[in-house]
Parts: sequence; C-alpha cells; structure tokens
Amino acid sequence: MADEYIVEMRHITKRFPGIVANDDISLGIKKGEIFALLGENGAGKSTLMSMLFGMYEPDEGEIYIRGKREHITSPNYATKLNIGMVHQHFKLVSNYTIAENIILGIEPKRRAGIFPVVDIKSTNEKVAALSKQYGLEVDPKAKIEDINVSTQQRVEILKMLYREAEILIFDEPTAVLTPQEIDFLLQIIRGLREGGKTIILITHKLEEIKQVADRCAILNRGKLIDILDVASTSTQTMANLMVGREVDFVVDKAPAKFGKEVLRVEHLTVKNRDNFPVVKDVSFSVRAGEIFAIAGVSGNGQVEIADAVAGMVRAAEGTITLNGTDITHMDIRSRTDLGISYIPEDRQNMGLVLDFTLEDNLALKTYYREPFCHKGILNHEAFSQYGQRLIGEYDIRSGQGKDTVVRSMSGGNQQKAIVAREIELASPLMIFVQPTRGLDIGAIENIHRQILIERDKGRAILLISLELDEIMGLADTIGVIFSGELLKTAPADTLTTNEVGQFMMGVKQNEES
Amino acid sequence: MRRANPITRGVLFLMGDERRQRITIPVFAILLSLIASSVVLLILGKNPMEAFVSLLRGSGILPKEAYAAKKSMLTDFLSLLNAWTPMLFASLSVAVAMRAGLFNIGVSGQMLCAGFIATVTVGYAENLPAVVAKPLVVIIGLVAGALVASIIGFLKQKWNINEVVSAIMLNYIIRYVVSFFVKATINNPSTRQSWPVTASSRLSLMDTELGGLKMDIPLGIILAVAAVILVQFLFTKMKLGFELRAIGGNPVAARYAGVNVGRNTVLVMAISGALAGLAGVTYYLGYFGSIQPDVLISTGFDAIAVCILGNSNPIGIIFSSLLISVIDKGSTYLQSSIGVRQEIGALITGLILLFSACGAFISYLVNRGRQHEEDARKLLSGAGGKEAKA
Repeated sequence: MADEYIVEMRHITKRFPGIVANDDISLGIKKGEIFALLGENGAGKSTLMSMLFGMYEPDEGEIYIRGKREHITSPNYATKLNIGMVHQHFKLVSNYTIAENIILGIEPKRRAGIFPVVDIKSTNEKVAALSKQYGLEVDPKAKIEDINVSTQQRVEILKMLYREAEILIFDEPTAVLTPQEIDFLLQIIRGLREGGKTIILITHKLEEIKQVADRCAILNRGKLIDILDVASTSTQTMANLMVGREVDFVVDKAPAKFGKEVLRVEHLTVKNRDNFPVVKDVSFSVRAGEIFAIAGVSGNGQVEIADAVAGMVRAAEGTITLNGTDITHMDIRSRTDLGISYIPEDRQNMGLVLDFTLEDNLALKTYYREPFCHKGILNHEAFSQYGQRLIGEYDIRSGQGKDTVVRSMSGGNQQKAIVAREIELASPLMIFVQPTRGLDIGAIENIHRQILIERDKGRAILLISLELDEIMGLADTIGVIFSGELLKTAPADTLTTNEVGQFMMGVKQNEES
Repeated sequence: MRRANPITRGVLFLMGDERRQRITIPVFAILLSLIASSVVLLILGKNPMEAFVSLLRGSGILPKEAYAAKKSMLTDFLSLLNAWTPMLFASLSVAVAMRAGLFNIGVSGQMLCAGFIATVTVGYAENLPAVVAKPLVVIIGLVAGALVASIIGFLKQKWNINEVVSAIMLNYIIRYVVSFFVKATINNPSTRQSWPVTASSRLSLMDTELGGLKMDIPLGIILAVAAVILVQFLFTKMKLGFELRAIGGNPVAARYAGVNVGRNTVLVMAISGALAGLAGVTYYLGYFGSIQPDVLISTGFDAIAVCILGNSNPIGIIFSSLLISVIDKGSTYLQSSIGVRQEIGALITGLILLFSACGAFISYLVNRGRQHEEDARKLLSGAGGKEAKA
C-alpha cells in the first residue's frame, strides 16, 4: 500500500505543554491530488503540516515520503525532499524585490571580476518564465512592500516552485484574500495539480474544499475524525464532522425592532497620512436594535470609518454623534465610557497587548474602573475573577488559563478574547470589523449568534465585513462603500447579493434605473 | 536524533523554564564573565580566586587582613553603599523608561544637570542648616532631572522624535553648558574641578566619627531603597504602571484601550528623569562632592546594562547594581593588595555588562536546547515503548 502514497503519516502524536495537538493520526496522500485538511482552529491541522515541513518533530509516529521513512528535522531538509509550504503569515523581506525574495538562501552566483555577486538578471528571467508557466503573473522587479497581499501570496507560491517543490502545503491560503482573489487562487491550485504537483490545503472553509479538493481529512481537537471523498460528501456532513455537532448554516434571525437613533455620522471625511481623502462625505445612522453593515472590497475606506467613530483617527470634516452627544473631537477613553465597543480589524496589532496575560487583556478597556482600580491602585483579585468568568462564558481556550500570555494563543481564541471583552462593555454602540476573519465555522457561528443577541438586546451594531455572505446573513441595513463613498444605503431585504456585489465594484446608483 | 551529552543536559536542566530563566540567565552571564576575567588574570600571572576575594575585601563584603586606624570592614561597606546609591538610582531610571518601551540613554546628562543646578543653588549656601539644605538638594535634583527628561518625552510625543537621538543631543548640550559655567564660575584652579559643596548640603556625611571609626554615611541609600519599593509598586499595583506596561507592550493597543499615550510618554520620562536627577545629586553632592567639567560620567550608560542584567525589574536591579558597585569599589584594593591594576576591575565590569547584554541570545540557545532535548527524549522513549510492545 505504502508506495502508492507520496506522503504517508503513521500514528503521529505531538504534544505541547497542556495540550495534545495531534493524537495518533495516520493518513496517506496520493501523488497528484488535492488533499484538504479540514478542522476548527486548534484542531491540529497546522501542527500536523508543520511536522511534514520539518518545523517540529513528532513525539511519536513515522513519516514516509515516497515510501521511504524520513526524519524531517528542518525546513531545509523538507525542501530537499521537494516539500514546500506557504504559511498563513507570509515570510517575505518587504524591501526586497520579488525575484530577490524568491532566490533568498539559494542565490545563483556569478563572478564580476574577483567578486562573487548574485546573478539577479538570470533570476528575473527565470522567475518571469516560471510565473508564466503557472499563470502566476508577477513583476520580478517589484518590491514586496509595493504589492498587495494576493500578489505576495503568489510570490510565496513561486518561491516553492523555484525550489522545485512537488508537495505543496497551503496553510489557510484564502484567509487574507477577497472573493475574486480566492477564485483566482483556486484556479492556480487546480493548475498546479494539472502540472503534476501534490497539494495539501489546510483550511476551514468548506466551499473551497468542495470546489477544488479531491479528498479531505477532518480533524477535531487533535484527533483524525474521518477521511472523505469530497465529491460524494455534502458540505453539511463535513461541517458537522468538523465541529463535532450539528451546525446551522442559516442564521436564525428574529425581525429587527428598531429603537431610537444611536449613532449618526454626517458628511464624514477622513484623510490618510498623505492627506488624501479615504472616506469622502459619508453620512449614515444606526438605530438601537439595528445591524448596519458596510459592504465593500478591502481598502475602500470602511476601516477608516470604524476608526473615526472609535476615535483612532481624526475626522477631517463632518460630525459624529452618539446618543445625541457630539463626539467628533472626543478622546478615545471618553468615547468608550460614553458607550462604544470596538472589535478592530487588526486584532494582534490593535486589539491586544500580545505580551500581556489573558486576564490583563480581558480588562484592557475596564482596568481603570471600579472594581479593577480604586484610587489609582489595581485590584488583582478583580482582574482574575473577571478573567475567569469571561474565559468560562466565552469558551476562550488557552494553555494556562487566565495567566496565559496572549501571544501563545491561537488566532481564534485571541479573537474570542477581544469579542468577550468588547461585548462585556455592554455599550449602546458596538463596532465589529471583520469579526470572523480567519475563524472556523464553529467560531463564526458563535460570533454571529452573539452579534444577533446583542442586537436583540437593543444595541446599535455597525458591522464591517469583506464577507458578503456574512453581511447578507446578518444585516438589517446595508451600506455599500466604494472608493471612500457610500454608494448605496438600503434595507437589507430590498437588496440581492448580486446587487450589493455590483455596487461593491463601483456601479453607480443611477445605472440601475 | 540523539540526546545531548550529560554536561549540556545538566546546564539545560539548571537553567530551567522561562520563568526561572529570569534569574538563571543573568547568573549564568555573570559566571561566564567571571570565567573570562579569570583567563585575563591568569594571563597576567595572578590567581583569579585571590583577585575576586580582594574585590570583595576592598568593598567591605569580606574582612581585610589589616585596617588603618579608625577604619574597619564597616567603613569599607558604607563607602560601597555611598558609591552604590547613584548607580541604583540610575539603573531604576533606565528601567522605568524601558518598561514603557522607551530607551533613556540620557541618564548621565540628566544626572549632571540635576547635580549642577543643586550645586549652584544650595551647594555653596554657607548659612543654610543641614535640615533645610539636604531636603532642598533632593527636591531640586528630582525636579531638575524630571524637567530635562520630560523635554525628551515631549519631543517624542509631539513630533515623534526618536528619544535616543534627542537624549544623546541633550547629553552634549548639558555637558558643554555645564562645563562652561563650572569653569567660568565655580572652578577650583588647583583641582580643576568645582569647589566642593558644603557639608550641610552634602547627602553623604563624610568622615563622620562614630564608635571610634571614621565613616562616610550615605543618607541617599535610604531614598534609593524607598525608590526601589515605589517603582516596584508602580509597575505591579498601580493603574499608571499598567498603562505604562501596555504602552511598552503595544502602543497602538494602548491607545485603542483609551490610554493617553502622549501624556504618559512625557510622564514616564519625567519619572525616569526624576530618578536620574536623584542619581545626580547623590553622586555630585553625595559620593563625589564636586563637579568635574568636560566629563560625562559613565554611570548613566553602565546603568543601561545593569538594568538589562536585572531584567528591568527593581528587585533584580538591586542585585545587579550592587555587583557592579562592588567591583568598582573593590578594584582600588585589588591594585594595592595583589598588584593587579585597577583597570582590570573596569574590565571585569565590562565583561559582565557584555555578557548580560547577550542574555536574550543565551536564553534562545537554552530554549532551543531544551526543545531539542524534549523532542529527543520523547522520540526515544516512544520508540522504546513500541519496541517493547512488539
């Protein structure tokens, strides 16, 4: 049997302090197939593939590559075995060009007189040829800092191909991409399979698996649940197996009961550092008990709207009113006290102090209030009780409970911590920016339910998302932003997904009539 | 995969996990530097043990073989405390800034500025009684240091000027301006230093007769120990300390949480500067008693390494700064007792500071070794288990 598999993992077990990341997992991957690893955050997918790529070694079990037992002790050795990996967070040098990044570590040398120099010219040609062959168009001479995320990902793929990788591992490749970019990537992946490569896709997005994968292994809490043939399995079955229970795809949504107006934004203009307006004359209002969702392609000013309302950036023009109070020039702390919760897009760089403990991060917005602080002196007992309660109520999983340093937690649990903290503020206005980005189905379902619960409690919710499905599923009112302008604002039930999609591409309102 | 040799395993075991490494890594760095100094001493043909013992003797930790009239181990020890006081203040000053993510490289300049202002305002006031003069010196030092350092904080928060650059520039400005005034006004032509300050304004009671001994009693050490406790309290118990640590950890997240980052940046530099100011007055109006123009003392720079050696933790800094002061103070005796030049003391200090700066690297090596060892152990025991089953 063994020789029919290009990769075979037998009885793999890997433990980390306080957790069994992989528990006796055995699987085989055939040459030339797209094999998906499906599981929630922390299910052990990335750990398993990290062992294949030589970043960890298994505590128990054996790995066979092309039928031969291998001890993959380092990524370099994995490369030698023609295994390549695209990590979720790209590993690129931002002030180097694409070609320079691709050859980094295996630079082709030539001599200029007595000096050995890197032969960048032949590299540029080779990279161009390679990118053409697989339909991954890039400009070899462009610098990483000047290109967008999806191009950076293509560079990572080219890096593997340049190293003649035969087995390509993709770790959550679509987490950072827009819908169009995802389609394009999936096309590339299919192309790679046609080129004879073996592809391992780590993901928790079922549609992607359904679209491209041949077979799929489902992991749950470190254990292998099943290996399925994708064509003959429904997404519902996969979802249930992955989460370990029945999953509702359809969000149960009670009809909205709108209350009084909570947030009013009038003629808001926000400028970026170069004094260029990124939000242009935007006006909208959000009522209590309403989910107002802003749909738009990434980078069209939606995050800046959220930042301006929360006070992170200055409004160049216009006014922001919260419950009748003009907060346009108020500082952040006063806005929080007046009633704004904010789940930011960038959870690691804005939402958390990564080197703080979980309990300190959970109190990051309330530490200065009673009972956490009395006359400038902190009450650590209150911190720890509060932390303990939130960890329980919001099911935040970590190695050492409230004393865990947040940096060591998984992305999904970091997000749960932020959501817990912000919801507990019980603010009249809650801003959610990309609340489910990079999360798995179970967690997404959970956060969606929480957003609806908060809405039904009468909070005003400003939801900003790149996921159109999320917006269509949750919103009561939809505003579509394009290039900093709010092109269309309408009740959610008067718009179809298609219409919203068209506005997102900048089709003007007058064209529809 | 093979397990490491027993010696490496022993070292890895002793270093412990990351929590314990906060203590074991600095100790290990000190051991390494002592070994390196031993090599130097052996090359010089001296017995390293003897040299280390004489450092301890010279600083009053161990008794000397003989003492001059009216001198004893206590005299030496108090004189060590006298030298230690400014070093302790300076290291705390660096630590406070560092916890908030700022690098105060201007401690020496802030010390000089505070010392100079206190000297010209109180240091020569003949008629001022000690009970007025001494507190006045402390207050002036504190305020002067705080004001100078808050300039750095202000420049940072207002125009985002890197605090390292502005602190270095301020060091130059203070050094030359103070030197000009010292030379122009209060210069003692025979010593080429400023005239010594009055006994009533001096924070160390010099040559005081007590129980038949003549001693230098450093009053500032009481303040320094109090400062240690206050700084520790600030960072573990106070709201302000929480905010400063948050800024140090992630300034964007701190701002997002509603912390006034700009105001706190100025504030933390003011606190750091106040401690530097206290270091200045306990040096220029305590340990040393006058100002030498054209010189920026090294205390403020050594304090950076002392702070790193002590993990930026006030308790750790007590030990690390004491160690450096012991070597500094003991090196005179090193020369007189076994004929090793005094500069070797400075060399040992330098080596300790060098190795302590490598702490992060040592920690990296240890953790990698531990991970490797762990993997190897599990792999071997796992394989062994399977074979046994088969």
